[in-house]
Amino acid sequence: MAGRANIPANSSALIAIIADEDTVTGFLMAGVGNVDLRKKTNYLLVDNKTTVKQIEDAFKEFTAREDIAIVLISQYIANMIRFLVDSYNKPIPAILEIPSKDHPYDPANDSVLSRVKYLFSADSVASDRR
Amino acid sequence: MAAATVAAEELRQMGLQPTPRVEKADDVLGGDDDEILRFMDSADSYLLLMDSLSSALRQGWLDLASARHSMGASRVSSTLFDHKEQCAATKLQVVYPADLRPSESNPHFALSKWCLQESNSGDVIGMQDSTKPKLRYRGLAAAPDGINESDATTAKSSTGVDTSSQVQMARSKALSVFGALVSPKLRTTQVSFETALELIVELANSRSTMLSSFSQIKP
Repeated sequence: MAGRANIPANSSALIAIIADEDTVTGFLMAGVGNVDLRKKTNYLLVDNKTTVKQIEDAFKEFTAREDIAIVLISQYIANMIRFLVDSYNKPIPAILEIPSKDHPYDPANDSVLSRVKYLFSADSVASDRR
Repeated sequence: MAAATVAAEELRQMGLQPTPRVEKADDVLGGDDDEILRFMDSADSYLLLMDSLSSALRQGWLDLASARHSMGASRVSSTLFDHKEQCAATKLQVVYPADLRPSESNPHFALSKWCLQESNSGDVIGMQDSTKPKLRYRGLAAAPDGINESDATTAKSSTGVDTSSQVQMARSKALSVFGALVSPKLRTTQVSFETALELIVELANSRSTMLSSFSQIKP
């Protein structure tokens, strides 16, 4: 991620997806699938045979690529690499955690909301009042 | 902050002390009210959009399951994905605010569906709605202005029709991996996930605004 060049303004960029089969299939039908000359895709289909290492490698690759502006990741998959997702803090590509069929969205686990939640926390204000 | 100081001074002169808790809250947050409001609005928008996205995705999954049921599981499967070189038909445009460096900016995302700009599609629809039958003027080169406008409108509407057919072709090509004849449910699945993509782009913009505001107001 260090030294990653920014996407030039007004140029086209891709959406990367790390999700289960149905979610990836649906988004490919919507036209986001891209395969380059080296057969590298902008999506990773996660099933029960996919290892955590493969997910980590895909996340690192997508966040390092210059042509990707948004990375969609199912929240239950993000939970497997939570330390990696939470430590990511660049504006581009934007990491969005999305629900999956079997795992509804939980705002408590969202990395973006976790980063800003202390502003909503009663404890942080109450401790200053004491 | 200056207004708050003046107000506090006036209260002291009237013999009333300002509430220490209010001052503490300002010190804790360290930012102006506009930025705080922007942060709260973007956080609210983020949560609402996530809820809408969940609904759109649920509809898409349901339609996909229906398509799989009618066409057969082997015809709607990830094993059919084409791994030949291909460009994405739906992409993003990223715009940075002019006064900030990209590394610290609040980027704005726009969706380009089926290789077309969103604004172009809107213009096309508008042109198609305003199309009405016009008389065709034959003969002289110096035609009245009204007729020139009608020719321009006709040209634009034909361009709009071309664009619409181009979009339909792109949509059909995306579904062609599943066979020449596909279930209508597969087409509605495609529409559901297109809707989800639009919501995702709005989510990305809300996220960007939220994080930008947060960086301004955190102590």
